[in-house]
Amino acid sequence: MKELQDLAQSVEQGQVQKVSGLTQQLLDSGVSPQTILNDGLIAGMTVVGQKMRSGEMYLPEVLQSASAMHGSLKILKPHLVREGAQSRGKIMVGTVKGDMHDIGKNLVSIMLQGAGFDIVDLGLNVSPQKFVEAISAHQPAILGLSAMLTTTMLNMKTTIEAINAAGLRSSVKVIIGGAPVSQKFADEIGADGYARDAVLAVDKVKQLLGVSA
Amino acid sequence: MNKRLEHALNCEVQDQVPFLPAIYEHKAWFVGATPSQVARNADLLTSAVLAEYERVQSDALIVGIDVYNVEAEAIGCSVNYYDGNDNSVPAIGSKGAVFQGTEGVASLRMPDPQKDGRMPLNLDAARNIVKLLGKEIPIRGAVSGPFSLAAHLAGPGAFFLLTMTQPDLAKELLKFASEVIKQYGKAFIELGCGVIVFDSHASPDLLSPQMYHELVLPPTQEIIRYFRGLGLQDVPLIIGGNTTRILNAYLETGANNILCDTKADVKEFLEKCSKARRAFRRNIDSSDFLEVNSDEVFHRALNSLEESGRYPGFILGSAVLPYGTPLSHLTAMREAIREYKKRASSV
Repeated sequence: MKELQDLAQSVEQGQVQKVSGLTQQLLDSGVSPQTILNDGLIAGMTVVGQKMRSGEMYLPEVLQSASAMHGSLKILKPHLVREGAQSRGKIMVGTVKGDMHDIGKNLVSIMLQGAGFDIVDLGLNVSPQKFVEAISAHQPAILGLSAMLTTTMLNMKTTIEAINAAGLRSSVKVIIGGAPVSQKFADEIGADGYARDAVLAVDKVKQLLGVSA
Repeated sequence: MNKRLEHALNCEVQDQVPFLPAIYEHKAWFVGATPSQVARNADLLTSAVLAEYERVQSDALIVGIDVYNVEAEAIGCSVNYYDGNDNSVPAIGSKGAVFQGTEGVASLRMPDPQKDGRMPLNLDAARNIVKLLGKEIPIRGAVSGPFSLAAHLAGPGAFFLLTMTQPDLAKELLKFASEVIKQYGKAFIELGCGVIVFDSHASPDLLSPQMYHELVLPPTQEIIRYFRGLGLQDVPLIIGGNTTRILNAYLETGANNILCDTKADVKEFLEKCSKARRAFRRNIDSSDFLEVNSDEVFHRALNSLEESGRYPGFILGSAVLPYGTPLSHLTAMREAIREYKKRASSV
């Protein structure tokens, strides 16, 4: 459908007003909110992810696409809820204790949201206890931990230990990311996965949840 | 005065490769304090830098712990510090931004380096250190780069978006940031200190080369020209991440020495820096320094030296060292430099 392609392209180009307008137009013409989400927003953000990986898009452009997507989601959300649309899964993200860097975490949230997942963002400087409490409250399928510093990456281990101690480890998969961490570090601290960038984080989440592309 | 670094900066043959590990929050560890304690006490900061000099024996010293926060805090951003034994690095909080796009740059107050925030504290420490070590080793005061300071003032996410939605306003904020940096840097220079400019928010991992060229290069050139005009020959510019894609612009900034971070292509740095007669510091990977042993550190350093040590403008460094990095790792890097020198002279 040409309008959906147009929507996807407008998301990619970060055209905030056009995306909101097209979303409303598509709803008014009877297109289901789930189709708009899948074939418009997710399709557009998938291209954004691909272009980010290939170095054709950078953070400012991605943030602009995310703004456009959020504008559309605001319109779509009540319709999706009314229709009982199923999310692809709930993902919780947070930057670990002592770390105030959120660019990477936010980028991961944007790309996951753009891939159709629900996000619970705990923000920055999140203590292990707060992660434990939030897992109990929100029951996410996956927890994404972010750290930008060699000092704070050690708090990923502390967080996983706290989740273990609370008896919640079997209920949630844990993935990690951030400049100083690696697959080796993920293995050492008992994480279920590592992603080098936001696009790979989406791939990792899909793989862990058995969600097809 | 230790001339080794000066020779490297002039791309002249020196007795051995200079050694410049990136030690900021880790300074606090040398005096048994936390980064939050040292960042807020000029005497502790002085002691920490002196202890670093004694134990690490690097070829230059930097005054600063949380090097990206000082100017932003002096303008009004709130910094989170940590109590007790918490060795987390002070950082600007998520609600710390002071620039609201709607009010424009006019709402921001130009800080006075002698009065505002922790600028006077860092200047006091620099004064003490210059007095004690200024004749022995280069001392550099840490200043933010324009893009990183603007990102803190507006909040990183908001500022990255502003570069797309209101590029003129982003440029205005960058201009304001440049003025702040110039005044703070001038205060260091007046103490007989050098400066080192940190601008990793402008890394090509986040910002396109085109945007770097359009937005960041002009104010960076202006700042470096200004410092040079004050008689400073050595103006390092630190941008982390894979800067290979902006290497030409990096060289155009006018910085006489630049950073080739772990992810960057050292071959391209060697080629372009030797043509431009420009020194560069190569970081060995230190992200897992709290996990690996000193033999591994020695091998990483030696590999890096074997790759690039013949270039007279080469400086061996590390990425930011985590608080608590074993001293033996730094000794291993120094030993690798000596070993490389021994091997090179026997060839």
